[in-house]
Amino acid sequence: MLETKQNPTYKLELTSSPHIHSRWSTMQAMWLVVIAIIPTVIASVLFFGFYQLLIILVSVGFALGTEAAIKAMRKREITIKDGSGLITGLLLGLIVPPNFSLSSTALGAIVAVAIGKEVFGGLGYNIFNPALVGRAFLQAAFPVPMTTWAQPNFAADGISSATPLSAFKFDSIITNNQSLVLGNIGGSLGETSAIAVLIGGIFLIAIGVVNWRIPVSTILSLFLFASLFHTIDSVKYATPMFHLFAGGFLFGTFFMATEWVTSPLTAKGMWIYGIGISLILILIRIFGGLPEGVMYSILLMNGFVPLINKFTRPKTFGKVK
Amino acid sequence: MSSKPSLSNEFVKGLWENNPIFKQVLGTCPTLAVTVSAINGIAMALATTFVLVFSSLIVSLVRKLIPTQVRIASYILIIATFVTIVDLVMKAQFPELSKSLGPYIPLIVVNCIILGRQEAFASKNSPFRSVIDALGMGSGFLLALFVLGSLREIFGSGTILGLQVMPNFYEPWLIMILPAGAFLTLGLLMGLSNFYVTHKKKIEKENIIQEYLKIKAT
Amino acid sequence: MKLVIHMLATLTLIGIISGALLSEVSNWAEPKIIANRKAETERAIFVVQQDAKSYKKIDSTDFELFEVFDANNNSLGYALPYEGNGFQGKIRIIVGLNKNINNLLGLEVLEQLETPGLGAKVAETAFTKQFKNLLLTPEIVAVKGVTPSNPNEIEAITGATISSKAIVRIINDGIKRLKAIQKSGEQN
Repeated sequence: MLETKQNPTYKLELTSSPHIHSRWSTMQAMWLVVIAIIPTVIASVLFFGFYQLLIILVSVGFALGTEAAIKAMRKREITIKDGSGLITGLLLGLIVPPNFSLSSTALGAIVAVAIGKEVFGGLGYNIFNPALVGRAFLQAAFPVPMTTWAQPNFAADGISSATPLSAFKFDSIITNNQSLVLGNIGGSLGETSAIAVLIGGIFLIAIGVVNWRIPVSTILSLFLFASLFHTIDSVKYATPMFHLFAGGFLFGTFFMATEWVTSPLTAKGMWIYGIGISLILILIRIFGGLPEGVMYSILLMNGFVPLINKFTRPKTFGKVK
Repeated sequence: MSSKPSLSNEFVKGLWENNPIFKQVLGTCPTLAVTVSAINGIAMALATTFVLVFSSLIVSLVRKLIPTQVRIASYILIIATFVTIVDLVMKAQFPELSKSLGPYIPLIVVNCIILGRQEAFASKNSPFRSVIDALGMGSGFLLALFVLGSLREIFGSGTILGLQVMPNFYEPWLIMILPAGAFLTLGLLMGLSNFYVTHKKKIEKENIIQEYLKIKAT
Repeated sequence: MKLVIHMLATLTLIGIISGALLSEVSNWAEPKIIANRKAETERAIFVVQQDAKSYKKIDSTDFELFEVFDANNNSLGYALPYEGNGFQGKIRIIVGLNKNINNLLGLEVLEQLETPGLGAKVAETAFTKQFKNLLLTPEIVAVKGVTPSNPNEIEAITGATISSKAIVRIINDGIKRLKAIQKSGEQN
């Protein structure tokens, strides 16, 4: 028999490229994201009541449980401490409608982690944002409960519980900007309060967890596309401000489009990715059958990320074409 | 003859080892499209098996008479004849079933399982052997479609073969009877079957090593 | 050359045998298929015109139309099959109409390809029973989220507004066409 000598003191770490240096370790970054989500959680509980906290807790619990169960089944190290399962759970809990049933939330969390992440091999290998995979599954499985919105706590009389986007699309009702910014409107838990999302998002950019290019490119290009349509026909197409603040755009752009694993690596790639998201979003919102398309636009662009990375790879130093 | 596998092997290989859906991944279009319920899956599989068995029989009988240059055209003609028979009989006798399977019955003509078996097996083997092989492949197809259809019906409608199996408070997952559910279920089933096969192989390998070591020790 | 003849002969022979076989099967199946189709239409006519005892196909129109009679052979009105586009594909319906074409007596969905569990609900009685005794003037309107208050309104299915509205549009289109024919008939 051959004896292999093993050196006990050195451990060679083998990971596939790209090797990106960051101020933060994966674990630190994950916890900073969790901190950034807290204002949104507070806003959603404030507007929709304590039941929403229960939804979020169920979502997080099942996300972590599924991850641990699958890792145990595959006899791998249980990695729930890295916080990625926690974030998936939190995000999913925030993108379901208020008063959504707890059992369905749990199912969504299981699907998000099992099919959205672990099937591909775990954190770092997933192609699509796990929380959005979970939501897409719920949307297709329970279309009616997923589009039944509750009225927020401080709603003035006569404000319909429909989301501003569907109110505009199907009944041509325009919601005023102040309600949109504060979040006193119908919608999923996390997407209603623009200001809470902005606080968390800017915090993430300021400390360098999230690259500024993705949110900036999506916001700028959405503003541009929406202005274009608004100038063509100001009655038929909503204002750019409305497109920015209504629906889940800001939440998606700050917390989901920017996810490390499923967004491009190069600066140029990030711009392409951001513009792509806004383009698909505006097409769905204006010409599609659905009132909202943030989820699908991010998922679709997630699918393009490997291609974008391939085409925007920087030239090897010294290479002559 | 000694090199040829036994007749029972010829049948069983289609069920598992060479299952047309889980292993060969052929004929996935009807598989994904019609399996919204168990009964649809069974009907589709039976119709396909009928066409497969009779085409294999005929092709095998005339295999020495057909010039190689026009063999594919001849196979298609034979297959299309049986598919049209199935289509007409279903329309006459089972109009409801024929309606729910829609265009997928005529589309059996282009099912790769059938043409594949003619080219790979029936054109080289005796009629009896070809029929056994066709029955095996058909059964494998039936197995796959039945499992897929049942799972989708249980989760997507809460029933199986029309009988309520889920408790009343269960809210059906509509995604399971949509195309997306078909892809998800088929993917998970394939993963499961691959996992089982690798697992089995690993155990077999370990057994062989153990036996070898035992022999060596004595 | 010999090969070419061999090839042609093989294909021709297979073609002839196949054709002969199929014509036999078709001879047997065709009457049954026609009977099935007729039974289906008949069943649908008696669903949308509940007092009907007999019916007659009207040949003068360029679309399908049936006149329906009661036990004493008095005309009850019409049964009109019509089709149009739904959310995902063609929807085929049949409606029962009174003699003056101002009242809808019933609706039955014959064929549809809508999303299972959502749009497909338009074929269920919970939705179709709303169309019983519906006023046709000016035309049918689908309302969303509220209980219908006017005699010409029905409530759209939650989550399947497009399919519900498609049904309403198909009915309205069919009736418009029927009325146009009736008008030109009166002038003649």
